[in-house]
Formats: sequence, structure tokens, C-alpha cells
Amino acid sequence: MSTWRLQRLPAASPLVSLSARLISVVLALVTAGIILAATGKNPLDLGAQVISSTFGSSFGMADLALLFTPLLYTGLAVAVGLRIGVWNIGAEGQFNLGAFAAAGVALFLPGPPALILPLMAVMGMAAGALWILIPTLARAYADVSELITTLLMNFVAALLVTYVATGPWLDPSGMALATTARLPVEVPAVWDIVHWGLPVGLILAVLLAVAFGFTRWGYEVRIGGSNPGNARYAGMPVRRHLITVMLVSGAIAGLGGMMEVAGTVHRLQGGISNNFGYIGIMVAVLARAAPLGVIFTALLMAVILNGGIILQPQGLTTQTVLAVTGLILFYAAIGDEFARYRLIRNAKPAGTR
Amino acid sequence: MDILAGLIQTALLAGGVLALAALGEVLAERVGVVNLGVEGLIALGAMTGIAVVSVTPEPWLGMAAALGVGLLAGMIFSLATVVVRANQVLAGLALTYIGTGLASTLGKPFSGAPAQATFARLDIPVLSDLPFFGRAFFSSNILVYIIFLVLPLALHYLMFHTRHGLNMRAVGENPAAADAAGIPVLKMRFWYTSIGAALAAGAGGYLTLAFVPSWSEGVVAGRGWIAVALVIFAGFRPINTVLAALLFGFITALGFVGQARNWPVAAPILAMLPYAGTIVLMILPVLAWQKMRRLMAAPEGLTQPYFRDER
Repeated sequence: MSTWRLQRLPAASPLVSLSARLISVVLALVTAGIILAATGKNPLDLGAQVISSTFGSSFGMADLALLFTPLLYTGLAVAVGLRIGVWNIGAEGQFNLGAFAAAGVALFLPGPPALILPLMAVMGMAAGALWILIPTLARAYADVSELITTLLMNFVAALLVTYVATGPWLDPSGMALATTARLPVEVPAVWDIVHWGLPVGLILAVLLAVAFGFTRWGYEVRIGGSNPGNARYAGMPVRRHLITVMLVSGAIAGLGGMMEVAGTVHRLQGGISNNFGYIGIMVAVLARAAPLGVIFTALLMAVILNGGIILQPQGLTTQTVLAVTGLILFYAAIGDEFARYRLIRNAKPAGTR
Repeated sequence: MDILAGLIQTALLAGGVLALAALGEVLAERVGVVNLGVEGLIALGAMTGIAVVSVTPEPWLGMAAALGVGLLAGMIFSLATVVVRANQVLAGLALTYIGTGLASTLGKPFSGAPAQATFARLDIPVLSDLPFFGRAFFSSNILVYIIFLVLPLALHYLMFHTRHGLNMRAVGENPAAADAAGIPVLKMRFWYTSIGAALAAGAGGYLTLAFVPSWSEGVVAGRGWIAVALVIFAGFRPINTVLAALLFGFITALGFVGQARNWPVAAPILAMLPYAGTIVLMILPVLAWQKMRRLMAAPEGLTQPYFRDER
């Protein structure tokens, strides 16, 4: 009789871990469905309603694209950080700051859109990078965990945006209670209400995939993330790469904020980041920090987020979506560990039959 | 002087949330588990407390329910991180998302309404009549005395003056050696992480039953993350932890006083102080206290899952 035992592998095979991720998404949706059923709702009906409202009309598809766009940016921002082992939990705040800086340029700087829009993008990226600067320097020079510092900056950013939108930058027309005036410039549309933020985000994902896959810089960042000691020994400037990567991560989230305020919302208001930064972490984790993978996981999370919005009359909120996101993350964390085990057959000792 | 006494009184009240949550995190981190779900646990506990007192107006029952929900959530978290040995950062973030999202969804019916029962102020006889000190230190609700006096002293004694405490710290510092010495590593990690989670949810109960006292979305406002940072700042020691929490309570109290007295600083700027302050406190020790670094260092085995068969 041969015996079986479990063997733990140092790393899971890509196919197994991909399946584990997919299973975690399914399990999370099933769990959410069971909870919904327990509260007396029919989860299958609700699911069908989400699918028909999302994919059944061009309105639904356009709404989906508008949610897909910001998640693409925040997901890429987090994914870039993960490449060098950095948890940028602050994409939410950097997104807010990007929106804040872009709105500031649009509201107070007159000029032709052809000039103002690029300036808004640059300022949005700079603001996002600025918002992660202190956590970056603290991590690079004092080894302070970026997990908590980046996250705390989110609260400061949210307070800042709410403050200017309800105070100094409040719409002077008196028509709005808690937003700025409508921005005089906007990101042009490519299809229906979908704006250029989407194709730019897709191009960004491809560029990052190329940078990580085919350049020396990308290689050094990856080694610096997986084995900083070895990378340093091999003469790679790990600290410099760490700083660059974190600032790029902040800049991408900031650009996402600029696109959101100038392409989708058109006014700066509190809560403009709408948990996009937090869900972006989920997007990046599910994609295993691969830029091209982010395209698919961002789309998946956009469908789930859109589902939450469609089901708002049923008493769900974006906070409910956050809970479902947490469930996926929880199952994914467990699945990652399970994916590392392999069932193997013990070899028969020599001489036995 | 009267302002200062009131400030200290408010600092204790506000700092209580952070102190209780941070004490829970000390327990988990001392046995080697980082629980980043504190923010979500506080939200769950806060919502549970309000929900229970809305049915039965008894604050102790609300508090007990909050602790119970926290223990249950903590056991699920421990199952994932200690038994299955899943990534602690991912599982912790997941717990924060689930707790925050679930509390907001389920708490909707109670949103904005004042708590139906709260922990009332308890003046300690004689002492509360003292000038200045009476108001500052001896005129708070009973939980404040438990959180700032009873719990930290008890935990300090447990962790640094008992055999069990030595075992506990060994599990966090070097699980393999602890295992070899016959200490049940996984059992210790499982239960202290779960109890720590219960305290975090208890901090939520304190938030809505003794401090705010009402539930609304976003009422937790990052306190869980500040608590996690405080633990690092306090060098993973219970007494230091409550003192650090008091410092943060003081910063929060300054914001209240500033608003009440119309200081010429915008309210949102004052509201930013605790977050900005936490970042400063995370960076400062590294730069200023180089010599104390070893004393204040994190347990060696923190975030490292323990596999007995890996050599």
C-alpha cells in the first residue's frame, strides 16, 4: 500500500494560484448570497438583476466603464508598489489629492483646454507623489512601515478635500451645498460618457507591463522586492528604486483622481475617492501585481461595485461592496496558502512489493 | 486650570478607545501575530453595542456583546492566520474591510440616533472633590478606570512577572525554541490573537456606549490604525501603550476645545492632528531613540507563521 502525504512548496504554481484566486471570488459571492438569503432576499434574483442592468444596455456598460477607470489607476498604483514589496494602502488619499490639485488648476487658472488639461494631469500626478513622499522617505531612510503611514495620510486627504469643497472652494453660485463649481474643462469623451481616462489607463497598464517585463529597471525592482539583501549585494540601488517606485505609485493614483474629477464627476467633493483606493488593493492582489492582470481584475471589481450601486434600493451601499471585497481578500489569503500544498505519494521503500 | 482639568478629563475619555484597542493589539503582537483588522473590529463592536442597547437598555450587555462579537471575529481571523497560516497583512486588511462594510450595512437603522443606554460618569467619593485632580482624574465613567488602570497593570504583571507571560513572549520572539521547550505555540497564538480582537471590538463598544455616544458610518475614523501605530510607538508594552493613548486622547481633546472656544484654526485642520501626529510619532523614535531601539523592538517572530516541520 502506498501512502500519501501533503508537501508544502516554497511557491505555488501559477495555474494553481490563479484557480485559487478565482475560487476565492466565487466563494465570497456565495457567502454574500447566503447572508442575503438569510435576510429574506433572493440572491439569484438580485444577481440576475445586476447582470441584466450592467450588460443589458449601453447605459449599463458606460456606467461600468466609469467605475472600471478609477479602479484601473488605483489597482496599477498598488500593483507597482507590490513589485518592490511595498504596501501602498494610501492610494485612496493620493487619488483624493490628485483630484484636489487638478480641480485647483481648472478652477483658478484660465487658459485653453489643450494647455490646461495636460497641466492638470501633471499636477494631479505631482500631488499624488507628494502625498506619499513622507511615508516613502520614512520607509527608505528610517525603515518605518509604509502600511500605516500611507493609510493615515488617507484621513488627512479626505478631511482636506471635504474642507475645501465645503469651505474656500465652495460653489459660489449657491446652488451646491458641498461641492466646488463645475470645472470649466473636462477630459474629452471617447464613447458616450466614457472619457479618455479609460484608454490612457489601459495604455499605462501596457507600458508598466513592458517596463517590468523587459527593462533592466523592472528586473532590478523585482529582485529588490523579492530579495533586497541579494539585490544590494549584487550592487543594485535598492533604496533609489524603492523611492522611485513609491513615488510612481502615488503619481498613478493621483492621475486617477485627476481623471475622475475632470472626466466623470466634474466637481470636487468630499468622498470623491469612493473607496476606489481600498478596492484598488484588492484589484492588485487578485492580479498578483501583474499590470496586465490588473485590467481584468479591475473590470471584475467594477462589475461587483456596479452591482452594489444597482442594488442600492435593496438596502445595499458601497460599504456593502467593501465587505464583499473583504471576503474575497480573506478567501484569497487562505487560498494562497492552500495553493502551496501538493498531495504526493510516498515512494515505496526498496525491496518491498 | 479649569481648562486643563477638563482637557485631561476629555483626553482620558477619548484616549480610552485607542488604549483598549491598542492593548488588544499588544496581546496579539506579543505572540507574533499582526492584526491589521483592528479598524474593522472597532466598527463591528461599535455597531453591536448600539444595536444591543437599542433592544435592552443595559450598557454592560452592549459591551459584553461587543466583546463576544470581537472574540468570534478574532477566532475566525486566528483560524486563517495561525492555523492555516495565511498572510497576516492580507487577512488583516480583509478583516478591516469586512468589519467596516458589515457594520455600516447592518448599522443603517441605528445611524445617527443616540445610544439608548450609556456608561454614566462615576464620581469617586472624596477624591472627585479634590481641586483640579478631582475633575481631571476621578470623575470619569467606570470603563476609563478599567482601561487606564486595571487592565494595563494586570497585563504588565501577566507578561513580565509570570511564567505564563515569559512563555507568551517566547512564542512571539522565537516560536521554534518555544515549541522545543514544550510551549503550545499555535494554541497561544490562537487564543491571544482572539482575545486581542475581542478587546478591539470592546473598544468599539466603548466608543458608542461611553464616548460619542451614537453610531454613524465613519464614526471609527481611523482609530484602529492609530491604535496599531501606538503599539509600535509604545514598544509593545501595556503601560507605555495606555500612556501613548492618553497622549493621543489629549491631541483629540485639543481639537474639541479648539472648536468649542473658536480658535482661529479651521476645524478640519484640528481634526487632522491625530493622524499627522501618529505619523510623526512613528518616525520620531527611530530618529531620536537609537539607543532604546533594542528595548522597544518588535518581537522577532512578528508576522512569521510557524511551521513545525520546516527546518
